[in-house]
Amino acid sequence: MRTTIKMVFAVLLIAVIAFYPRLFGIYYTNVFVTFAIFALFAVTLNLLLGYTGLLSFGHAMFFGTGAYGTALALEHIGGCPLLLALLIGFLSAVAWALMLSPIMVRVSGTAFAMLHLAFGQLMYVLALKLRGITGGEDGIGGFPIPPLNIPGVVSIDMADPLNFYYFAIAVLGLSLWILWFFTKTPFGTIMISVRDNANRVDYMGFKVPQTKALIYTIAGGFAGVAGSIYALFQNLISAEDGYHVFVSFAPIMMTMVGGIGSFFGPVVGSAIFGIIEELTSRYTERVELVMGLILILVIMYAPMGFLGLIQIFKIKWFGRLPQKAALEETS
Amino acid sequence: MDPVTAMYIAQGIHGLAYGMILFLLASGLTLIFGMMGILNLAHAAFFMLSAYFCYQVLAMTGSFWLALLIAPVATGLVGVVLERFLLRRVHAFGHIGELILTVGVSLVILEGVKVFWGTESLPVSVPAYLEGLISIAGLEYPIYRLFIIGLALFVLGILAVVLYKTRLGMVVRAAVSDADMVNALGINVPLVFMFVFGLGTWLAGIAGVAIAPILTVFPGLGDQVGLDAFMVVVVGGFGSLGGAFLVSIIFGLLSSYGVQFVSQLAPVLMFVFMAIVLVIKPMGLFGERE
Repeated sequence: MRTTIKMVFAVLLIAVIAFYPRLFGIYYTNVFVTFAIFALFAVTLNLLLGYTGLLSFGHAMFFGTGAYGTALALEHIGGCPLLLALLIGFLSAVAWALMLSPIMVRVSGTAFAMLHLAFGQLMYVLALKLRGITGGEDGIGGFPIPPLNIPGVVSIDMADPLNFYYFAIAVLGLSLWILWFFTKTPFGTIMISVRDNANRVDYMGFKVPQTKALIYTIAGGFAGVAGSIYALFQNLISAEDGYHVFVSFAPIMMTMVGGIGSFFGPVVGSAIFGIIEELTSRYTERVELVMGLILILVIMYAPMGFLGLIQIFKIKWFGRLPQKAALEETS
Repeated sequence: MDPVTAMYIAQGIHGLAYGMILFLLASGLTLIFGMMGILNLAHAAFFMLSAYFCYQVLAMTGSFWLALLIAPVATGLVGVVLERFLLRRVHAFGHIGELILTVGVSLVILEGVKVFWGTESLPVSVPAYLEGLISIAGLEYPIYRLFIIGLALFVLGILAVVLYKTRLGMVVRAAVSDADMVNALGINVPLVFMFVFGLGTWLAGIAGVAIAPILTVFPGLGDQVGLDAFMVVVVGGFGSLGGAFLVSIIFGLLSSYGVQFVSQLAPVLMFVFMAIVLVIKPMGLFGERE
């Protein structure tokens, strides 16, 4: 029964995503791509924050590195295929995460957060100052977007927004699925155990620093994928869009608003943020003010976020405690 | 004295002045961290808010000294309100909740000043006798920078007396090392927390007023200085006042001499310094607690 409902739900979701551009037009299609990019970005942050208990104030490092990696590849490598550019974005973020992980796995809590803030700012300053490579304030823009080429089969033009929509959603959806699958593996369980009691995990014979480093690298790499798609989508990446501290704060806020406990909380948070931004920017320029107020209200009154609220209402209205497994998953 | 030495000394004074402003900010941060275990990410926003208060008081009364007195106190009061009505309530949700709350507050302050005062940069003028240069031992110094150094030392003197010579300071220091124990001894620790938070934001406020005449007042005022102050706290060691003092001076001198010798890479110097320190000592130079 449950699996049937899940199947129906999955088919419906795919149908909605497939027909979305025809239903809502090109403007809202682009809004949806932005939402999907930040949903993936926020999910990677939640791997660190919600699952492993590491708060990063510099997650934009990986987003920006992925974006710059892809943009530089397309700018400098003649005839670089699309998927290779994407891969380069992913790998450059992975490389950066690997370089940082020896320092980062040794600290946690506030020190972890502040180190990320500092390194994030370092990347921001570097992106601004190394004009020869990154183009300074203007960033890298107008690089060619190659068609998606599968030799001998098809060549899909990516300049067409509709085609790009399907490509972006496919990549982001696949990444989300991989990450979701990852959290369900035994390794994903160790990840949660590290958050709850790192010492105990150590006593049980698992290697805590290595575990942290692997999660860190995966989270960084997929944040790089989000950044890479962002660069392709905008056909522009600048220090402001890639490395600014607000880019780091955005996924934290999305995760908090959506629900820190569950895998899909950040996705919901990204959707809520997209909607709020759409609505408030019609009335006021001070979108950040509204965001700040929402953040304060969420922390004060709904610390488990939107999905946490739903969970509470479920218990209140249906009077039925959720299954133990479900509780553990969301706690 | 030959002009090269004179230039070095002048740069040194610039660096010291900046270091002092950094320390005013960082001491508040590190005090709050040492006491409550949270990093107040709205600290830079308070710094900027105080500069706006300074502008407002100056526009209304025309007295810089009055602004120097009122603006930091007003900022401190905002800090007290924040601690009492927001921060205290989210304490139960752990440090991440508190960190994110202060981010929210900082966003609100940042955007709030734009609503009230606009995004233009506003000038703040100092009394005539603080402008211009003074010549000591054949060298010309900008008076206002010397004034900043003096002001910072004066404020820090007061702080040191309060912390080390009064009963209140004793309670504060005791609460820094073990808040639970002090609470068990019958001292109202939440009240002490509130006082320390107010004190920390007051220090940020003084730094804000001190820097307003140099950089003018604009919404992005706290970005650079605020980040530098955070790095001072990280490098000096969380909760260590002595570490903050030493690193503030080092950072101030690094920034002023850095601009002179390697102007392109000057902003990176502090990060490099920080990275080296943290690779060797992850908790900072004088840091102990997690």
